Amino acid sequence: MADLVGINGQRENFKVVGKHNLPGKVSYALASGVAKFGVDYALPGMLHAKFLRSPYANARVLSVDASKAKALPGVVDIVMWDDPDMIALKPPGPFGPTRPWLDNYADQEGIEVAVIVVAEDEDICEEALRLLDVEWEVYPHVVDILKGKEIDAPLARPTDPLFHGKDMFARLVDEPKRGNVSRAITVQGDVDKAMEEAEHVLEYKLVLPTFASHVPNPPASVAQWFDDPYTGPNNLHIEGAVQRRDSVGRMYGVPDHKTFQYGIFQGGKYCDWGMRRSQEITPLLARRTGRPVRCSEKREEAFDFLMNQRYIYMKIGFDKDGLISAIDDYSIADGGIDGNASFGTANDQGYGPYYTMKCLNIRQNMDIVDSNRGKMRLSGQHCPFNWDSGTMAIYLVAEKLGKDPIDIAKLNLHGPDSQEDMRPVRSFDECLDEGRKLMNWSWHASGTKKLPDGRYHGAAFRYQICPRHAFSGYNCKLEFRNGQIVLPTQGPVTGIFAVECNAMVVAEELGVGYDDVVVEFNFRERFTPVGGGSDGSTASAWAMKECANILKKQILEATIEGANNPPPPSFFGPPPPANPFKGFKVEDLDIVDKMIVAKDDPSKSLPLAMATMDHLVATYSGRPPAAIWSLGMGKMLDTMNTAYCEVAVDPETGEVEVLRFGVVADPGLVLRPTSLESQIDQVMFFSQGCQLLEEYVYDERTGVRLNNNMIDYKKPGMLDVAHVDRKFVETRDGNAAYGASGVSHSMANTHMVVIAIHNAIGVWVDPPATPDKILKALGKA
Amino acid sequence: MYTPESTQAAAYQLVNSVTSPMDQFKCSVCSSVFANYDSLRRHYDTEHPHDVAPVVVALHLNGKHCEIVVNPHWTFQRALQYKFGLTGAKHMCDKGVCGSCTVIIDGRSVLSCTTLAVEVAGKTVQTVEGIAADPKWKPLIDAYCKWDAMQCGYCTPGFMVAAKNLLDKNPDPTEQECREALAGNICICGTYPRHAQAILEAAKEIYKGGNA
Repeated sequence: MADLVGINGQRENFKVVGKHNLPGKVSYALASGVAKFGVDYALPGMLHAKFLRSPYANARVLSVDASKAKALPGVVDIVMWDDPDMIALKPPGPFGPTRPWLDNYADQEGIEVAVIVVAEDEDICEEALRLLDVEWEVYPHVVDILKGKEIDAPLARPTDPLFHGKDMFARLVDEPKRGNVSRAITVQGDVDKAMEEAEHVLEYKLVLPTFASHVPNPPASVAQWFDDPYTGPNNLHIEGAVQRRDSVGRMYGVPDHKTFQYGIFQGGKYCDWGMRRSQEITPLLARRTGRPVRCSEKREEAFDFLMNQRYIYMKIGFDKDGLISAIDDYSIADGGIDGNASFGTANDQGYGPYYTMKCLNIRQNMDIVDSNRGKMRLSGQHCPFNWDSGTMAIYLVAEKLGKDPIDIAKLNLHGPDSQEDMRPVRSFDECLDEGRKLMNWSWHASGTKKLPDGRYHGAAFRYQICPRHAFSGYNCKLEFRNGQIVLPTQGPVTGIFAVECNAMVVAEELGVGYDDVVVEFNFRERFTPVGGGSDGSTASAWAMKECANILKKQILEATIEGANNPPPPSFFGPPPPANPFKGFKVEDLDIVDKMIVAKDDPSKSLPLAMATMDHLVATYSGRPPAAIWSLGMGKMLDTMNTAYCEVAVDPETGEVEVLRFGVVADPGLVLRPTSLESQIDQVMFFSQGCQLLEEYVYDERTGVRLNNNMIDYKKPGMLDVAHVDRKFVETRDGNAAYGASGVSHSMANTHMVVIAIHNAIGVWVDPPATPDKILKALGKA
Repeated sequence: MYTPESTQAAAYQLVNSVTSPMDQFKCSVCSSVFANYDSLRRHYDTEHPHDVAPVVVALHLNGKHCEIVVNPHWTFQRALQYKFGLTGAKHMCDKGVCGSCTVIIDGRSVLSCTTLAVEVAGKTVQTVEGIAADPKWKPLIDAYCKWDAMQCGYCTPGFMVAAKNLLDKNPDPTEQECREALAGNICICGTYPRHAQAILEAAKEIYKGGNA
């Protein structure tokens, strides 16, 4: 059991943690339509702003004649890229090239470029944009990264040809960029020798699709400047920049205490933490016009990537039992926006699926190709989606040897401490045992099982480590105020129910109910239960557990002080109940069911609400011990998860039905089961969508993406998604509160359904496996 | 704090603060403000003869008679946000695909992003705020919250309206009927299995004793 350094980390009895059906602290606002997101805000007298967007995939604006647009009634301001105000604007984040905040160069179709118009309403903005006389210099584009990789390919970013993706993780090769290509390589062992000595060698090409999963709420902000008798002149009020209020303030030189924001609802994030220009520009426009300004994006303007396209060419050496001894992985990956090869690409080399295996000879070689494909400010999902190269390696070996992939996975998985550790991993074994039972697992070779209705049956399995970071520290604060426990936080609310996990842990430690913990959302507060991966719920809950115990000690001390030195009687209200704890010590007391009680004589008690009238404030800044995952990057293992699926493939129509998903995961300890279950469902539906339905389509000739909308880009709906059976193993081997660990998006996958389809029909189909592709693979179309 | 009571009160306040925002007859071209609709209309005729003048639309919104002056090309979703201050009907797909902007018009679930405001003239409209303000539907809100039938929550009001409309017509739906009734609503967070669970539980509470 982990959580060895935390207070009560070994707690055995839980009254609140682990309970189902405790409503979220803001759920009522969401369900009733009262909650306001950035796009919902409107201020009296406000103006609207719209960017010029590039109709070309790769082009530069040479000049703009805005005279007709300026003459249009209702147009208030037109700002060009070369305006001194615009030149002075600097992006708040570290990602991307050091190009101007608003450039006259557009590296994607639809990207904001060169001009922004401010007018009385959005219609006038759009009319003004149409009246701009823009002179373009159009360059050849790259939307096919295999073509873009060639040395004679046109440059995707001719204005910035030497720019390497700046990434906080990527291990780029120190060599000049070749055309559009930067290179990253990671090598362990002697791959060539091991491959030569292997009994079997397999080669396979894997295509990771580009995947949208755009944020549901279109990005938007509204800003105004105001004077205030307390804080003085030039205060900034901005809505729609939740969690980045301070960084937007810094862009405009506004100190934190003069930057205001009341909205807490951020919408879905899905690892997409990038700010959009619409969320950063409004303060400038409001300052220039002297009025509030709103800027929002249409759905097609914010149909952003979650994952960039990637081709993986895999070569695997293994022995007759299926033990893998050599992995040679060469990838060609879309570099993402602005050449940023962030999480989704080279970083995976550091902690990819291969390091969970005993195999000591691993080479990962990646060409990161600049392209004019996508729009995302902070590029891509990381390990969860790209993990399936390992899933595929295991399946291929199993298929070749006629063995169950679960057995191959067990054979290849290393032990808890290192790749040389041959011991079993408890969490993995327990997940597999339960998984076999849950799925009534009975492996069959591909193309050999038909269902009574004539469709082919296929099954697949995958595993993952439970990656959670604990990179972030947490500035926790709890108050005992007027007899109530108060948890102040700035939020934000993104749907992960993190603050609820915190409230449950606080309730557990303070001997009160979940409803007794009042969560106060206030943008001035520092505590935010976010920090990468599942830190949001589990690691922050660990820190909040420490804080709760500091507050508990303060409450008990104040109670004893009140007994030893009673306060003078109050003329207001009834007299307080007698405090029976004169002469007690803190260690003699506990808080149980909202009562302060003597441990050795529970008949001596005092309602918690009457403990003290002092306003007590406890703070704790810190984080749980580093996770095994973050220390070992897959080379050490503790909490893990497994997933399964069954499909039926109709050989006549090519239709694939996911009969069911199965998930057996080890979150260490389940803190809040209702949302954990829901997030497991979510991740399976993400996976189903990107393997069966979702795909960006480009016009190769123009570089235009053709389906930036929810009609032509199909997300799964209520009737599309499969049933998910779930079971949780609780080893308490995680690093966070009570040995909990994050699971969340680590189960997102690109190939589990695709593998099940192969298991059904014996032919490979790249995602998305649409009926036409299935029929073609079967030689029927 | 968003308690059940405070949120219901907030919804009630939103519904009741909606009157007829015709006190401001504002030109959408130049922002000039007039005392009445006739003056605004004359202003368009003389100053903006090439622009289409706004029109007056009267409707019953969440039980109240309202009139708005609106541009003929405005969608009803846009009118709800900017004319009435009701943002429960969410702008997501803007193409009639996702159901986030669902409202009930004359007893039918309708997508307000593909309905013009002028089409609603003379009709009876219920939005999520109206549902949330009505104590009869509190069990539905309760059940949605109890079962986490939301994550980020952006699409949730659309689901709520479609669920209420289902229960108006069918007080005792099956799970499959719930799924079919909500098939036009997209939740990127994938909360799908939760909705039927919540609706079935709420139906029992709302219609217990057969008091439909």
